[in-house]
Amino acid sequence: MEVLDHLLLGLSVALTPINLAYLFAGVMIGMIVGIIPGFGPAAGLAILLPITFGMDPTSAVIMLAAIYYGSMYGGTITSILLNTPGESSTVASTFDGYPLAQQGRAGPALVMQAVASFVGGTLGVILITVLAPLFSQVTRSFGPPEFFLLVMMGLATLIVMVGGHWRYGLISALIGFALGTVGVDLETGQTRFTFKSAEMIGGIDFIPIAIGLFGLGELYYALYMGLHLKGSGGIVRYDKEQRFWPDARDFIETKFSLVRGSLLGFAIGVIPGAGATVASLMAYSLEKSASPTPEKFGKGAMAGLVGPEAANNAASSGAMVPLLTLGIPGSASTAVLLAAFVLWGLTPGPLLMAQKPEFAWGLIASMYLGNMALLALNIFAIPLFVLMIKLPYRILAPAVILICTIGTYSVNGSIVETWLMFAAGLAGFFMRLYGFSPAALVLALVLGPLAEQSLRQTLTISRGSFGIFLDRPMSLWILAITAVVLTAGILMRRTRRGR
Amino acid sequence: MQVSRGPTGGAMGGRALRAGFLLALLFVAGWYTWTAFTELNYLSSAGRLGPGFFPRLIGASLVLLLVYSFFADLRRDPPEGAISPYWRTAAVVALLCAVFVGLLDLVGGLLAMVAFMAGALWFLNRGRTLQSALVAILLPLALYLMFSVWLKATLPRGLLPLPF
Repeated sequence: MEVLDHLLLGLSVALTPINLAYLFAGVMIGMIVGIIPGFGPAAGLAILLPITFGMDPTSAVIMLAAIYYGSMYGGTITSILLNTPGESSTVASTFDGYPLAQQGRAGPALVMQAVASFVGGTLGVILITVLAPLFSQVTRSFGPPEFFLLVMMGLATLIVMVGGHWRYGLISALIGFALGTVGVDLETGQTRFTFKSAEMIGGIDFIPIAIGLFGLGELYYALYMGLHLKGSGGIVRYDKEQRFWPDARDFIETKFSLVRGSLLGFAIGVIPGAGATVASLMAYSLEKSASPTPEKFGKGAMAGLVGPEAANNAASSGAMVPLLTLGIPGSASTAVLLAAFVLWGLTPGPLLMAQKPEFAWGLIASMYLGNMALLALNIFAIPLFVLMIKLPYRILAPAVILICTIGTYSVNGSIVETWLMFAAGLAGFFMRLYGFSPAALVLALVLGPLAEQSLRQTLTISRGSFGIFLDRPMSLWILAITAVVLTAGILMRRTRRGR
Repeated sequence: MQVSRGPTGGAMGGRALRAGFLLALLFVAGWYTWTAFTELNYLSSAGRLGPGFFPRLIGASLVLLLVYSFFADLRRDPPEGAISPYWRTAAVVALLCAVFVGLLDLVGGLLAMVAFMAGALWFLNRGRTLQSALVAILLPLALYLMFSVWLKATLPRGLLPLPF
């Protein structure tokens, strides 16, 4: 009953006209961010952060969260119509989505992906509603050793689960940690790696780094791959009037895929570092192995589209659990959300739900409404988004650079940070080219100070002994979960390599 | 740098570029580690772990991993193989971007935006002069109004600030 009371409180916050307007703006922007290839939610959120400066904190976070989960919906439209995922978590949707479109079933595929995204997103939010308060209670007993292990778990999972070479993933994370040490040491007050510059004393803000790595870096990479020469030639045409709606068979065939994808996606999303991309790829494998007709996968199986779609949206909801209850983001996108929380004086962690219920539950309630708005948008506003897909990259690319640059400058009015973003863009290009992990770098940069502080506190408590990680039951649990997740990740990599 | 044509030469170009990137990272990581060991204390004055503890751990691990990666991957082809024939496009756009950032403090946000868009669209959107001109003027103007007027965000004013 307590949960229902909280949810009602949240709905009363989310249903105010101003919050509804920001929510709707957020899902629209999220859809657009998801549609633009090579422009992920992390860059989109980081660039749009300054727009929220004049807003009420709850409205701001409602809008930013809507951009985050809205991008999960948007990315699939290009996967289905262009065979180009709008962002990494919709890669699995190209496997069967594009073949379906080629067979003249683009309409049913688009509607079914919207339904799957809605079911995944909404089931995910229901699970947050039930589980987040429980998580919050459990994590109140966490001390420095547990926080250090959670940071390590998130990074290790990200490195092992997501593509690229694990060694380069580890190097990326170490670079992020190194950047995180710039500035004043919180315990002694000594400055580190600041070149005696006043601008560096506060440390390296991760916003320019995130915009550079995910905005500029991805864009340079897209140009390097010749995306600017492609028009909308590859787009699959579809008929809005005829054969737009899915038939009963589509729903009957995929009803279990919806549930399986949602549950798997949420479980993966809760694990820091795993994220929506891993969830959608795992859901695709699960659907293929559970299907009586696995030979149809890759040739236009509706379950091959529905399962991953439900999973990536449920995972984006699941990723909010560690963020809200521990203050630990599981991905680069949730790291930007964390920055937004901090910017507004909100400290995500075990006490957030108890101390700021109107904020936490307002956000959760808004996610129910956001998923409904996205379902309607994805079905009725498809022609609008198809128009966006037709926008040539040769015009889109300079426009994105413009927004990245001006967005970065406007955060703190700093030209140094703008140059930093430019440098991060170049580094991001090479990282993308050679299989490094920009997400691990950003996550390590954000979590670096927490990791350093908790490790130093842990070793002070234990008088220098690392045995403390094995002495505490909660630490042992985290270590055990990490071992299971990493083993699953290594097996997944081997299976992928074996194919 | 020349665009490599043959498969072997192309792959070698890709390997050389990656080796260069790893060496650049190694150089920065080396400096970071050296600073951590020479300028930052391992223990604080109170006898606890000091400001140098974590950077030393990170720096040393980074240097070791980079050295290992440099030699281990020297003979392995990078994931993308040969250097793309479109590398010049990416390089020119990156250069234009650097000029854009440089112009921000010099001529102010609005003029720098218009100059960048005009340059980038002249390069990427050739043959569509009217379309490029319209986008190069209207988009910066819309962004300027959004950031400066609506959001009241800080935009660079330049050495000769605009009267509005």
